[in-house]
Amino acid sequence: MRLDHQRTYSDDEIADVVVVGTGAGGAPLLASLAAHGLRVVALEAGDNTEPRDHTPDEMLAAQQINWMDDRLSGGADATAFGPNNSGRGVGGSMLHWGAFAPRPDARDLRLRGESGVGRDWPIAHAELTRWIEQVERFVGISGPERYPWDPSRRYEMPPVARNASSTAMLRGAEALGITATDGPVAVATRDRDQEHWGLRHACVNAGTCHQGCRTGAKVTMDTSYLPLAVARGAEIRAGAMVVDIETDARGRVSAVVYRRDGELRRQRTAALVLAAGGVETPRLLLHTGLANGSGQVGRNFLAHGATQVWGRYDEDMRAYRGYPSSIITEDLLRPSDADFAGGYLIQSLGVQPQTLATTLARGGGLRGAELMRWMRDYRHLAGVGINAECLPGDDNRLTLSDEIAADGLPRVRVDFSAGENEKRLRAHAIRTMVALVEAAGARETIVLDRTAHTIGTARMGSDPGDSVVDAEGRSWEVPNLWICDNSVFPSALAANPALTIMALSLRTADALRRSAGR
Amino acid sequence: MARSVVERIATIAPARWMLLGHSMGGKIATVVAARTLRGETPLFGLAGVVLVASSPPSPEPMDEGRRLAMQGWAGAGAVSELHARSFVLADLADSDAADHDALPRPELDRATDDVHRANPEAWRAWLDRGSQEDWSVAVSGSDFKSPLPVPALILAGAADGDLDADAQRRLTAPHFAHAEVREIADAAHLIPIEQPAALAAEVRRFWRERAGLGPTVPSDFGRVLASARTTSRTRAALAARALADDPDYAPTVLDTEQLGRLRLLADHLVPQPGPAIDLAARVDAQLATGVGDGWRPADAPSDPEAYRRGLDALADWARIPDADARGEALDRLGDGDLEAWLEDAAVDLARQWLAHPATMALIGFDGVATGGDTGRQSGFAELRADRAESWEPLPDPAVSSPGVQPPGITNGASRSTTEAEA
Ligand SMILES: Cc1cc2nc3c(=O)[nH]c(=O)nc-3n(C[C@H](O)[C@H](O)[C@H](O)COP(=O)(O)OP(=O)(O)OC[C@H]3O[C@@H](n4cnc5c(N)ncnc54)[C@H](O)[C@@H]3O)c2cc1C
Ligand code: SF4
Repeated sequence: MRLDHQRTYSDDEIADVVVVGTGAGGAPLLASLAAHGLRVVALEAGDNTEPRDHTPDEMLAAQQINWMDDRLSGGADATAFGPNNSGRGVGGSMLHWGAFAPRPDARDLRLRGESGVGRDWPIAHAELTRWIEQVERFVGISGPERYPWDPSRRYEMPPVARNASSTAMLRGAEALGITATDGPVAVATRDRDQEHWGLRHACVNAGTCHQGCRTGAKVTMDTSYLPLAVARGAEIRAGAMVVDIETDARGRVSAVVYRRDGELRRQRTAALVLAAGGVETPRLLLHTGLANGSGQVGRNFLAHGATQVWGRYDEDMRAYRGYPSSIITEDLLRPSDADFAGGYLIQSLGVQPQTLATTLARGGGLRGAELMRWMRDYRHLAGVGINAECLPGDDNRLTLSDEIAADGLPRVRVDFSAGENEKRLRAHAIRTMVALVEAAGARETIVLDRTAHTIGTARMGSDPGDSVVDAEGRSWEVPNLWICDNSVFPSALAANPALTIMALSLRTADALRRSAGR
Repeated sequence: MARSVVERIATIAPARWMLLGHSMGGKIATVVAARTLRGETPLFGLAGVVLVASSPPSPEPMDEGRRLAMQGWAGAGAVSELHARSFVLADLADSDAADHDALPRPELDRATDDVHRANPEAWRAWLDRGSQEDWSVAVSGSDFKSPLPVPALILAGAADGDLDADAQRRLTAPHFAHAEVREIADAAHLIPIEQPAALAAEVRRFWRERAGLGPTVPSDFGRVLASARTTSRTRAALAARALADDPDYAPTVLDTEQLGRLRLLADHLVPQPGPAIDLAARVDAQLATGVGDGWRPADAPSDPEAYRRGLDALADWARIPDADARGEALDRLGDGDLEAWLEDAAVDLARQWLAHPATMALIGFDGVATGGDTGRQSGFAELRADRAESWEPLPDPAVSSPGVQPPGITNGASRSTTEAEA
């Protein structure tokens, strides 16, 4: 995005707010604060890009827009980082997100009240929905005319084009009596003028959303909230990696220390928002020892179950064409025969070859002749995958290792093992998906295990004793420190997270602004 | 000049080709290669460059007096036959002998006639400007910072005055990451007419042992990569990956034995059909960049160290002579750390395999060609099963499962079954 004409602040000026990270959590808040006249500076570790800088080539794309510095992954179901869940750049993980944008289900926000496990959200569903609608209006979402699980809902644009994997999922679902339809997708299906950025071209079905969208069709922060923020006077400093947080005698944040062009600098500020994502935010907090009186920083690490089932069809599916995950079903959010709490969404799947091979090897244990057989049948594959609830576990947490990474901070270690609830849910989901894919006409199926997203490591709550921030995202201990990204989620929710993160971002901005008297 | 060469190649559009340039043509070939490898030409499939008594990308070393004299020859029209003859003779080894026995009379006459017929403006332009232009930075950056990755064979006549093997090593070779400088005996500057057989043998050997190794990207797939549907950056990356691996690759992160074991392991983890890509060497090169995949198992060492340890642990395994027995032994290893690393290795090797455009063609993936540098992106208009758009390369029939029909006809473009089977 254009940053050459932006307003700039000097390190010695005391910014009203410094925001660390420009992804789903940082960008809407930055725009909202700037629009209300606050003097805001965003520090972003990654580079600034234009949509046309992206390439469909998986290998180049991974190096350009992902967080590729090693994280250490432990536990029985070690999480894959890098291209699997971590972005880096002006726009954060939204540069490579899949743009699947379901709203969270009301029952998921009250999971504990309903089932006695997990956590309830300290926010009412109706209020969250109002913020979500505000995000949807600003960025533009496409979806079906009538949403079966919420008939009152309206989407601005018609659904994305269905590909061969979409029609296969619809066929299978119909045979099983499962309701499935075009999903809510954060992709412009018509040319759309985006205020302060320009014309976002309608989706051309390139299928490379995870490599970065070159048309501007996909909602990203660098084509929506960030240009708005800059137009309202915010500064975005790209290539600025925050490595330390300074506090004054009263324990309030006074400045952040960041590295840019190899040089350590200090930006003074009256308030700090951490929006560095579910891994880097707790890493900074653990490293500085801030805001962790509850001992909850790094705990409650949650990863959505994201198991996939692929089918081999006689037809030439070539499901890499088109938006990859256009079909949704919410029928399995509370299956009647469930022996677990919570539920899951199913989406249709197309995939790029390197991503598929990686998942076949890691999630399917394939190698050698079998790996080659599936890859040579690439044209004939189409899949479905879930996004599933995940409950906190005592051993599932993020800690700092003894090893120092290139950025000078200790490397994180994330331990994750699926608990009993995740295992039962997964078994149910596999049964459903295999039946669906077979009913769609696949000759052969394969189950690929995977988890997605980095959630819950600085959770919000109403009890300072067992949460890191309050319901508005403000630290219980450091009154001018706020957190606004995937780490504040009290529970995972079955819905994919980004839409909710953006909504919380606007909500936290509103609270911060009011606390600052604006 | 470079542009007309590019246009000519584009109309022929061979699947895999080498550029050969003599003298001034070598300078042009080098510039065309550089542009092609940067993805800036509508060409794909460049496999090698052969430079014969080539003028270097930098100003050609040339005696100033001789340069002025030669300019003068074409001052008032065509170069006279006398001057032409003396020019040719000066470029031959052993040029004192008037009845030069290394060069048969007809060849000598033809070479003389070629010079005599040369457009005098072009003759002067080369001497005034072309030979003096400095393309070094355009070819390989300042101080040869980014040498061209294409294999290059640089041939110098043993008796070439200004452009002998030493001069080529100094002036031309540093522009290439993999250059082989060879001397042609009994030749000076006009190697193609002085030693045609030796030249042909060198080119053939270079193709067979170096530039032509590994899989070929089929021409219809290459045509799509060369087209405006592919961005120049993507084309550049794919062009580099399509180049043959160096059979003498010297590993950076691994030692030679470890590399050998990784090659053996690659045959089991990612067994390739047809001519093989040296996946092991590519993984070593990737490890050397220090860019990993963003994570590693908590108790594992850094990627390079994990590879070294894993491959050392496979020393005994690698000595099993029989491939089938090796494969079975690999499946029985069963040790936790080693298993986890094998999974990493399988992923890294498979990604390298799939990153090669010949593999993309093999599995029928043309999703890298979804839009060019400018204008609206093209994407896909046809998303249905068993349908393809007219621009799409044909699938390899060997890959398609039995019973699958070739893509149907869409977008008004006809594609008959016989074509698909051809
Ligand atoms: C492949 C993929 C597909 C996805 N698909 C979907 C989908 O379809 N639907 C959905 O809802 N979600 C999806 N997601 C998830 C979604 O992208 C994330 O949940 C969301 O972007 C998280 O927002 P965040 O603000 O928490 O972090 P991010 O968006 O990751 O932003 C964090 C930013 O902070 C920067 N940063 C970190 N540390 C520092 C530091 N110390 N100093 C300066 N800057 C720093 C990072 O560079 C990054 O830009 C997907 C994610 C991936 C990886
Ligand atoms: S499928 Fe649509 S949204 Fe996705 S990258 Fe292509 S044009 Fe962008």
